Order: sequence, then structure tokens, then C-alpha cells
Amino acid sequence: MRVKKPIRASTEGFTLAVVLASAISSLSMVQAQSGCPAESALFHPCALARAATFPPPRTLDGQPDLQGFWRGPASGTENIEEHPMTDDDNGGKSLIVEPSVGKVPYQPWAAALQKENKGRYIEPNVPCFPSGVPRSLYVPTQIEILQTSDNVLILFERAHTYRIIPVVPRPHAGDRIGLWMGDSRGHWDGNTLEVDVTNHNAKTWFDQAANFHSPGARMVERFTLIDPDTIHYQVRIEDASVYTQPWTMAMPLRRNKEKGFRLLEEACHEGERNTDPLIRAGQKIYPGVKR
Amino acid sequence: MRWFYPAVLVAAVVASVNVLGQTGSPAAASYAAPKNKLGQPDLQGVWQVLNTAAWDIQDHAAQRFPGLQARFSVPAGPGVVEGNEIPYQPWALEQKQKNFANRLEGDPEAKCYLPGVPRITYMPYPFQIFQFADRVVILYEYLHATREIFTDGSRHPDLPVEFWMGDSRGRWEGDTLVVDVTLFTGETWFDRAGNFHSPDLHVVERYTRTGPDHLLYEVTIEDPKVFTRPWKMRMPVYRRHEPNSQLLEFECYAYAREETDPSLN
Repeated sequence: MRVKKPIRASTEGFTLAVVLASAISSLSMVQAQSGCPAESALFHPCALARAATFPPPRTLDGQPDLQGFWRGPASGTENIEEHPMTDDDNGGKSLIVEPSVGKVPYQPWAAALQKENKGRYIEPNVPCFPSGVPRSLYVPTQIEILQTSDNVLILFERAHTYRIIPVVPRPHAGDRIGLWMGDSRGHWDGNTLEVDVTNHNAKTWFDQAANFHSPGARMVERFTLIDPDTIHYQVRIEDASVYTQPWTMAMPLRRNKEKGFRLLEEACHEGERNTDPLIRAGQKIYPGVKR
Repeated sequence: MRWFYPAVLVAAVVASVNVLGQTGSPAAASYAAPKNKLGQPDLQGVWQVLNTAAWDIQDHAAQRFPGLQARFSVPAGPGVVEGNEIPYQPWALEQKQKNFANRLEGDPEAKCYLPGVPRITYMPYPFQIFQFADRVVILYEYLHATREIFTDGSRHPDLPVEFWMGDSRGRWEGDTLVVDVTLFTGETWFDRAGNFHSPDLHVVERYTRTGPDHLLYEVTIEDPKVFTRPWKMRMPVYRRHEPNSQLLEFECYAYAREETDPSLN
């Protein structure tokens, strides 16, 4: 989509895509709702307690109604771990709640590789590649959730990606099929949408800091409404070839309540001009790690 | 709803005489689409065309595609354009011929750009339809292209804006989903043969179930800057029946990036 004057600018500096401002209000991401603090380490236990008592609204099918527009905490796309404000980063607290030190529990080789990769490869979001799971939830973008009887759809404004999450029993795609957005299978666990995500092509990063996983990663996400306007989002990541233990991120997704809001078309690749100079400067496209 | 039914039937029969007279198939008129829980004709599922319109929407023999190996030659196919002729203005016909000559490089698909409407419908990748009270969502395997077709009576935005995939507003007409699409860029083509339009393109799509596993997809193309009159395309779309069928991914531009990076080859 193109506008004659830029009206809604992407919060990620590298994309030239512009979108309509008339449709957005800027949400304060630090503002606490539900009485739960925004910082993951404090939000997570608070949200678990709220989830136990909050009765979510229901769809006509009787499913907890997660529909609407949402935003995750944008600082995670810089670094999912705690990081300071610098010339490049706005800074932010860790999204990791387990282990409680808030660090990715890398095996030693993987910790070394992450540091090397950051300088060697082009951040995969720069060429507008899909952000993958879970990064799509906290990359700065607008998120729309829609529900049918059989599927939960998550539409992302960034680079017009989407996830189709069947909530009826259905086996995963064959394990040789690697996907940018992974392969999602969901079910309702009480008031929580639980999603099993496999089949990662592992060419995505968790963040601009090159935090990574392998194609064998299994992610289990949990989406739970804890008040009318907040989803408690958790994702547990298992990848025995890369980490010493499974680990978990948790964060709030805040509802965008602006009337008449709609997702627009972020034609990211069509306007992208930053990758070619980086390639000319000697950086490479991240090839992923083998299983 | 019952009182409304005869009118729908009459409309469908008339449509079958006008539209299907040439194909001789009365299926659209005689088939009543099952309804979803919202009372709408149920178009949901994974669908794909089975034709060669992606290469050329007009009649075409099999032929080499200049610049590609012989095995990537164009498969033959009857056209999907009603009457086969596209009513170009004289300058536009010349432009089309230039586009055809330059199609290897000049086709926006070569740059992996969003292909626009209706082209995305007849590219060789599946798409999936989801229905809601106030909208129909079509998700396409190609490039994760996404369309939200608002059926809430809202109008196209009156804004200085253009979309690669257009702005879609739909309505239910009997058993047919009718979609009005405008606010296009002028940078997409209709096919790999150089058929093109201007930013003034106005598309009206009609999606009608003609059986348990078939949709009839009809398109009216209007663009007074390029054509001398409106013209139409029509094709069946088939339900994907493989038990493991689902939308996967075709991130064209990602493969283009890998190609330019020798470390990945």
C-alpha cells in the first residue's frame, strides 16, 4: 500500500512502508492494566492469578473470545533479554520469565554462535522476511485475531503475514516441511488457547540481537484473557540441540480499541531498500542452523 | 429467508442463460450452496484453480519462455477471457506487446511483488476462504498475501491511497459473494504475458459455489484509461481434497535473496 503522504510510519526504522495514521492511536506499552505491571517478570505471576478468576467473553461457538486488535511489547524485537538504551535501541526489560535470571539458556557453542551471527548476518527482518513465531507477536506491528469454529486466525500488519491455527484435531505438517511462520496446531485448554508450533525453517531470529533456535524447536504458546483488554501471552521453547533447558517468555498483548480501526497493507518488500547496501558491505543472508 | 428464495432462483436461472450459455454447464443454477452458521453460502475451504491463466489469460499454445530452460516452457491453455479478446485502446495494445517482449524482466512477479487482484486467484498456489459476520478473509499461500473483504456495508475509503491488492468491499447476492475492488497501484499485471492495467482499475469479483467441490470465479475488469469497454474473465476453482492439504508458504522474495547470496548455494 502506498500513500501520497506518509501517515502511519512503521516503528521499525528499516522499513519504508508507510501506513495510515488516521487509523491508529499510539498505545502506551508501559501502562499497567489489570493492575498487573508491564514488566514480564512481574506481569507473569500477576497475570496467572488474574487468569484464574477472569471469565472471558465467549464467541457464538462458546470459545473464549480473543478477537480484536492487539499489540505486544515492542522492546522485545530489539532484544528479548534485558538491554540498555543506546543509540540503536530504546532499551527494555527481559521478556524471559523462566529461567528467572531472564537469559536464554544457551549451550556454550550456541552462546558463542549468537554473538558471531549478530555481526555476520543481516537481521532477517530487514529484507522483510516473515518474523516467525514468537517474534511476530512482539515485533512493532498491529495484530488482528479472528475466530471461526475450526480456526483461529492471527493477521499481522507487518509484511502482511498471517497464522492459521486449527483448533480441531489435525496432525502437524510432515517434519521435512520447514516454514517461516512454523506450523501451528491449537486447542482450548479451559479459557486458554494453547498452540503447539513446530516445522520452523529457523531462518528467523527472536530479535535483532540474533537470539536463535534450530528447526527442531518446539514452541507451546498460551493465550489467555486476563481482563477485557489484556491477553497474557506465554511461549515455552524447547530445543534440546541449542539450549540447556526449556525456557519461557511471557508478556501482555494490549487491545487497540480505536473505532473503525483496520489492518492496512504493509507492502514491505515492495519498498525495501536497505538489504542491498548491507549485502554490498559484505553481510550475508542468515542461513539458519542445521538440526 | 424463505420468501426471498424464488427471487434468488430466478436470478440464478437468468445468470445461467447469460453467463453459462457458452459453457453449457447449468451447475451454478441448479446447485444450492450449503449455509454456514451465519446463514451465508459456505465458501470456506482450501481452493485452487486448475488452468494456465497465470501464464496467459488468453488462448495460448505451449511455447518457450524466453530466458528459461525448455522444461519451464509455457503450458498450452484455452483463455479465461470471455470471447478471448481484451479490448485494449490502440496505445495500450502496443504497450501490452512491449510488456510481452520484456516479460522475463518486466513482469512485477519477477520482482516477487504482491500480484494484485484478480491475478493472485489464478496463480498456481492454493488460497483459503474464511467467513465472518462482517467480512470474508482470503489468505493466499503466495507471499502470505492477505485480503480482508468487508461485507458490513462500508465503502471504499475516500483517501489518497493505493494498495497492491486493492481495497475490497463485498456483499452477498443470493448465493454469490460479490466483491468490489478499487484503489489499486498501476504496477501489477494480469499474467506473465504482459496484460496490464492502470491505477484506475476497477474489479468486480463474483464467487459462487457450483457444487460441493467447485466455485465459479467471475471477474469484470473496468479501466477506461486502458480498455475501450469492460471485459470479463471466468473460471472454475477446485477444492483441495488431500487430507493433508493446508496453506504452506511461497516467500518468493526470500528465494531471490538466497540466490544473490553465494554463501547459501
